[in-house]
Amino acid sequence: MFHPPRKINPADVALPAGYKIEVVATGLTFPTGVTFDGDGVPCVVESGYSYGEKWTTPKLLRVESSGQLKPIAIGANNGPWNGVVSHKGNFYVAEGGVNEGGKILKIAPDGKITALISNLPSFGDHHTDGPVVGPDGKIYFGQGTASNSGIVGEDNAGFGWLKRHPDFHDIPGQDITLTGENFPSKDILRGHGKVRTGAFVPFGTETKPGQIIKGQLPCSGAVMSIAPNGGGLELVAWGFRNPFGLAFSPEGKLFVTDNRYDDRGSRPAWGTPDLLWEVKRGEWYGWPDFNGDKPLTDKDFKPPGKSRSKFLLANHPGTPPKPVAQLEIHAAATGLDFSRGKQFGHRGEAFIALFGDQSPATGKSLHSIGCKVVRVNVRNGVIEEFAVNKGKANGPASKIGGGGLERPVAARFSPDGKSLYVVDFGVLLQKGKKSKPQEGTGVLWRITRDGGSR
Amino acid sequence: MKTIKFLAATVLTLGAFCVFLGCHSLRRGEPLVGPMKISDAKIARGQEVFMQQCHQCHPHGEGGLGPAMNQSPAPRFLVKTQIRAGVGAMPSFTKAEISPEDLEALADYVLALRRHDPISRDRF
Repeated sequence: MFHPPRKINPADVALPAGYKIEVVATGLTFPTGVTFDGDGVPCVVESGYSYGEKWTTPKLLRVESSGQLKPIAIGANNGPWNGVVSHKGNFYVAEGGVNEGGKILKIAPDGKITALISNLPSFGDHHTDGPVVGPDGKIYFGQGTASNSGIVGEDNAGFGWLKRHPDFHDIPGQDITLTGENFPSKDILRGHGKVRTGAFVPFGTETKPGQIIKGQLPCSGAVMSIAPNGGGLELVAWGFRNPFGLAFSPEGKLFVTDNRYDDRGSRPAWGTPDLLWEVKRGEWYGWPDFNGDKPLTDKDFKPPGKSRSKFLLANHPGTPPKPVAQLEIHAAATGLDFSRGKQFGHRGEAFIALFGDQSPATGKSLHSIGCKVVRVNVRNGVIEEFAVNKGKANGPASKIGGGGLERPVAARFSPDGKSLYVVDFGVLLQKGKKSKPQEGTGVLWRITRDGGSR
Repeated sequence: MKTIKFLAATVLTLGAFCVFLGCHSLRRGEPLVGPMKISDAKIARGQEVFMQQCHQCHPHGEGGLGPAMNQSPAPRFLVKTQIRAGVGAMPSFTKAEISPEDLEALADYVLALRRHDPISRDRF
């Protein structure tokens, strides 16, 4: 049971031999990303919104060497701010936009905020995420889907957004033809009676076999790019579910973490691992009918006691590629970065923050999942733990005891590649299916290596 | 009388086994027990298969969506049988999903993972 204040003790975090972890800043409220200004000073974004319908103020904060937090910019009531990157003196923030729609914000060093693009389809379960700068100088970002698996249902009311935006639904990245599957549920909007809902349409709207849904840009479940001064929105790839973390490898390849299906809602799926993808332009990555390269109709994805899924799309836009790595189911793979330097070691490996499960809201599990940082060899998909809490069992510190990690949500290397900064969202309790985020419990950690090469 | 003795012996044996397991961590991550150095190509292949098929439910053999397996006393043949037949909520894996060669490699890796614990290294 968590009793504030949060305990913080680096000695409770285990690392491979030769590495050490220290606290850079505490008292953050729902931090989601870190970047560095022109002087190499870490700057953190506070989200301004958390699952559990907790609203605060989005902020970009400079972390002084004393650990003091100095505001650079204050956002509007349109969080969550999900990630930040700096480029040529400016900051770029993905604004999740649960009130006004998603945006990519450009923030000048003096704090002036300019929206480079607005009205991204971000009112739903998953938001606009993780900006990163490509080798071409463009800003790449992820856009999550509105729903778990293509159908708006009662679970979306549980998130809080369905009553705010009753007409919102998923948008495909290209024209699709539906099988006409419809799903019954309570009419959560009227408060009585039942409705049937099809794919890629508003709650309570039925679809027919052969019905065509026009593709749009921007769309749901996609990686898109935009010029650093705005304009030139491009679809890079779609068919993701929640492409939260984006990073370019030292070779210039784009990788993305993707939170996969939950056992919830009108079309639940079971046992679908979070994925690490290499993103190739023009590919379709399988949502809402595949997980990885396996169809969702597979028996392995049938939730216990529930029906096996049927396809929603009559013709699939392609065959999804094989993922680079399959992470823990419900681990909530979030921010990632690649090691680029000899001093830190593991050059070319992806370091991924695993936020951790939100069981039972996302599905039941036997043990706590995630709440750690892992490294992935992207050549063979082998995953190794890198930063975990000590103790007999894994889990957030507030659950297992001690002052270690809670909810790692971003991992990013310093510009010199010598330090790995880990953004810890803070305490997020689950009371049944309700999330209870705790303000002021976020931490910025820093991991460094004593020396030598690896 | 014989029944009581048998039950007592069973309870004592199970209790001793549980105490034995309780002394051994199920965790196998590098930060906690050091790196797992794999020099055998077959075990390395087994690790890749594990990552594709098993890790998602049993991360590093620990509990996750599914139960922990690092403490399992199941012998090698039973590990392979369980993978092919499935058990409870665990799915079965066909030869198309895990080839016979990969199954052998996977079993080697699963057993190596069990041994990758400073305390129980000599047990299996």
